Amino acid sequence: MLGFIAARQAGLDDPARLRRAEATRRVLSLELNKDRDVERIHGSAINTLDIEPVEGRYMLSGGSDGVIVLYDLENFSRKPCYTCKAICSVGRSHPDVHRFSVETVQWYPHDTGMFTSSSFDKTLKIWDTNTLQPAEVFHFEGTVYSHHMSPVATKHCLIAVGTKSPKVQLCDLKSGSCSHILQGHRQEVLAVSWSPRHEYILATASADGRVKLWDVRRASGCLTTLDQHNGEKSKASSEAANTAHNGRVNGLCYTNDGLHLLTIGTDDRMRLWNSSTGENTLVNYGKVCNESRKGLKFAISCGCNPEFAFVPYGSTIAVYTIFSGELITMLRGHYNTVDCCVFQPNFQELYSGSKDCNILAWIPALREPIPDDISEKSLSQQHLNPAYEDAWSSSEDEG
Amino acid sequence: MDQRLAELVEELTTSGEAQLEPGRMRELKKICKSSDEHISYAYHLLMTRLNEEHAEIRFSAFQIVHELFTRSHQFRTLIISNFQEFLELTVGIDHEQPLPPPKEVAQKLRRAAIKAVQDWHEKYGEAYKKLSLGYHFLKQNKKVDFQDVSARTLAERRREEEKQKRLDNIYKEKAERAGKEMAEMSQEIADTLTEMENCFRLLMPDPFDFTVNDTELEPNKQTTANEGKPASPSSSQIALHPSYFGHVDDEQPCCSKDLLSVSQCVKIDRNEELSEEQEKLEQKELDGGTHSELGSGVPALNDDDYQTFVRNHGLISHKYTLDLEISTDIKVHENEDNTAIINNIMDAHRLLRNKFLPTVQSWIQLFTRAGINDDRLRCAIDLKNKLEIAMKKYKEMNISIKERKRKVMKASDAADDDDDEDDEFVEVPEKEGYEPHIPDHLRKEYGLEPPSPPSAPARETSIGLAPLSSWARPKGNEDELDPTCAAATLKLIRDKLPKLSPPYTSKSATPEQAALEEPDSKIRKLEEERAKAPIMPFGLDLHYWGQDEPSAGKILKVSSQHRFWAPSEVEEEVENKEVTEMLKTRYITFAGKFEPVKHKCRAPMPNGGLCERQDRIKCPFHGKIIPRDESGIPLNSEDRAREEKMQFEKQAAQPEWRDPEFMREVEAATGVDLGSSKNNGKGGKKKGKKKKYPNLTDLKQQANTSRSRLEKKVFNKGAMKRVVKAMNRVDQRKHEKFANQFNYALN
Repeated sequence: MLGFIAARQAGLDDPARLRRAEATRRVLSLELNKDRDVERIHGSAINTLDIEPVEGRYMLSGGSDGVIVLYDLENFSRKPCYTCKAICSVGRSHPDVHRFSVETVQWYPHDTGMFTSSSFDKTLKIWDTNTLQPAEVFHFEGTVYSHHMSPVATKHCLIAVGTKSPKVQLCDLKSGSCSHILQGHRQEVLAVSWSPRHEYILATASADGRVKLWDVRRASGCLTTLDQHNGEKSKASSEAANTAHNGRVNGLCYTNDGLHLLTIGTDDRMRLWNSSTGENTLVNYGKVCNESRKGLKFAISCGCNPEFAFVPYGSTIAVYTIFSGELITMLRGHYNTVDCCVFQPNFQELYSGSKDCNILAWIPALREPIPDDISEKSLSQQHLNPAYEDAWSSSEDEG
Repeated sequence: MDQRLAELVEELTTSGEAQLEPGRMRELKKICKSSDEHISYAYHLLMTRLNEEHAEIRFSAFQIVHELFTRSHQFRTLIISNFQEFLELTVGIDHEQPLPPPKEVAQKLRRAAIKAVQDWHEKYGEAYKKLSLGYHFLKQNKKVDFQDVSARTLAERRREEEKQKRLDNIYKEKAERAGKEMAEMSQEIADTLTEMENCFRLLMPDPFDFTVNDTELEPNKQTTANEGKPASPSSSQIALHPSYFGHVDDEQPCCSKDLLSVSQCVKIDRNEELSEEQEKLEQKELDGGTHSELGSGVPALNDDDYQTFVRNHGLISHKYTLDLEISTDIKVHENEDNTAIINNIMDAHRLLRNKFLPTVQSWIQLFTRAGINDDRLRCAIDLKNKLEIAMKKYKEMNISIKERKRKVMKASDAADDDDDEDDEFVEVPEKEGYEPHIPDHLRKEYGLEPPSPPSAPARETSIGLAPLSSWARPKGNEDELDPTCAAATLKLIRDKLPKLSPPYTSKSATPEQAALEEPDSKIRKLEEERAKAPIMPFGLDLHYWGQDEPSAGKILKVSSQHRFWAPSEVEEEVENKEVTEMLKTRYITFAGKFEPVKHKCRAPMPNGGLCERQDRIKCPFHGKIIPRDESGIPLNSEDRAREEKMQFEKQAAQPEWRDPEFMREVEAATGVDLGSSKNNGKGGKKKGKKKKYPNLTDLKQQANTSRSRLEKKVFNKGAMKRVVKAMNRVDQRKHEKFANQFNYALN
């Protein structure tokens, strides 16, 4: 650390280098911290989380009972111990609450004044954050699994919506209507994601095992269909042609730079694709346990040297390095299946929601103060918390 | 020390007891205290123990965990790092991974674990985040009620509630129905009760209910006054009875034997005194109603009155005490007069016993179960009480019913009723096929031979016939008319006898001669033999006995009736050998008598005992049974020699290197089963089967039900194979049979 700072000071290093190194270190030391808590509001499973990209301060959560809660993550109390407060929520008593499970929530990428939510009640709602009233409601014919809004788009305001029907719908916020339909999938669309690099590029993942990349300006069909065998086997067997996974594909995430695409399927595999060529990079992540019937929201770190993927793995969260496919660690803390996780890039924090109704905050462990001598360390530890003390009875016989 | 730790954990967890053994626990704690490494080792050991599919092991392991958890921070961290699994194994939060059997211990484990989690949370919840998360998870997601001792899960509770609700509804419905039924039926019950009550009253008034008798006492008094004074004590007694016991026998007052005898002392009292005191006594009764003590009624009168009273009645003193015991064990006899009443009462009683009482009881049950506590229940209970009183009364009445033949009575009744209407029916004695005496001239009509050998000359008839006839006679003569009866056959034989067996007839023709000629001893011998001879049931062979050519065994073929075509030659009668044989033979199984075997095999067995089998000749395990002494050594010397030889040969057959001792040692060293236990015979096998942890509840034992045993037999691989083979064979056969028909050829 000191070396990095010195090098930075001397101008020997790239300015990003120190930052990257520290971020990586922090991500690697993520742990369940007793100092950070998220207020317990949800009474049922938490399906989706989203942190607004502007400040990285507010977090939305959607529960399977239709409740949406807005949390403030920032700690202004000047104490290490902090419970993330729920600022407001769309509760069951709210007149415009989603009737069924909320599948996806997303902030408007450029401002916290608006967010979107989609639900199994076949609607997509655009909310005004300040009044907590829906500004617009889109109705669909099937349940909505996922929607996404381009984080980089400046020329359009399209929301891609994956529903039970195989057609991907594009809703235009400007006109308030479904402007496009993208046809090509054969089964329900479980995940959609805009490229963070090109504003017209959209990736969709479906239950038919295919992942398609679209250019929404082109009416005639998709750009490419990702093929797990890179076209080698597809000639021989038409059945397995052009599938990304052998099962349903229910998770989709671009890396921050938009150069790669990570998909996850119910065949317990995770695959990394080159998003420009549609090539399978053949990174082996091993078995990634995935039993979800719906979309799965996983996160990719940002600003670290090897980038990390945080993937729900049963009741734990697996942390992989993206490009080497190495399993770094498993974060254990939930007592039931984890449905979603979201990465806060500014402080390298991870939030995860699970079926056990908890939202857990995974905070980088604090660097331990380097003690002057041993005795002081033990003393400080003793003082830290009486609960950490051992309680062996003093008498020899008792033990 | 690690070794010791593992041993300790194993011993503690396999003790199968509810409490940990304190000595070992202390040692374990001491070891754990010594270093963190030991703690983590103990943690791993305990987790493996917790993973065992046995609730007792888990329970003990959990107790150790609890002990260590409160003591070591290191241990706490370890447990909490894997708290999900810990909860799964102890609380059983996963549906797919329920707690293992035995069930009671699993419940106990669950309760203890929940309590422990609560305690830990209170104590360490702040410091260990995951612990509090787990606690909240249990509390909010699994809805574990930490106050609820029974530690039921939410689903269980809800299920129970629903069940209760459903039951309640059913009960309520039933109770409603019962209430309606009661409303309908109570009138009927009340009617029956009143009827019964009236019947009782008619039969025998309540001895303590004097209001009933009041009106009737006057005339009684008159009669007693008229008759009693001059009459003998016995007559007074008779006169008195009706006044006490009502008017059962009003019409025949003298028939005192029909009444039960009043207890003796009363009789004596009366005999001595009553003749004089009668009137006064009756007066007393009218006055006070208490008849037990004379004095009790007296103080109401003043002294003068006493004097006059005493004098008037010719008493010496007024201090008589008169004890009257009225026997309550009444017995009502049925006679012509009260038949109708008794019939009535019995009908009513039957109705009560068979219909009303069970119904009312079921109502009460329904009401109580439905939790109804209003008039309906009270009403039902009242009804039940009334019914019971009536039943009791009926029992007390001790009605002795005449042996009645319903049919006869009915017949006579009918006859009585019909008397005036149709007199043309002449009553004839009943005829039911049996006529004790048949007049001679009618005998032929009945198909009986004329009574040629009547009873008087029967003494002299042939000895051959006599027992036969004596055997046949007791059976009704009408039997002979029935061709299926032995008697009929007998008759047939008897009819045929003269022409069939001339020598026999000659013998019987000269009965007297034969009787005279044959020496007495011979006769006796014959008789003895006859007595010994078994009496056989009648059969076909007896039916055709002595017939030369029974026609029954022949098959008659009908000759062709066709005009032109005729079979070449038709044997019209074909004798079927088998049938004819059957008609002439009889199988008599002569099994002899079963004699239980008294001896035992008593061959020495490897476990030191003696063979207890009781085979007749040969023991399936030890060969021919030979006499042996107490220690199982054969008594005969050659037997002993043979046995020794065999023993020797057996040992020789076993190669020397397979010495059982040596083998066992090798096995212990290598851990490979070389089969020494099998080699050693049964004793070794048993040792091998010994349970590893005798203290734990054997789960397999519990599964050893009749069903599982049957399953083992039925679903045995060999058995299944056999069945499949048999079924295949059947299929195959069918296939072969119909193979030439295309319809069946393909399947």
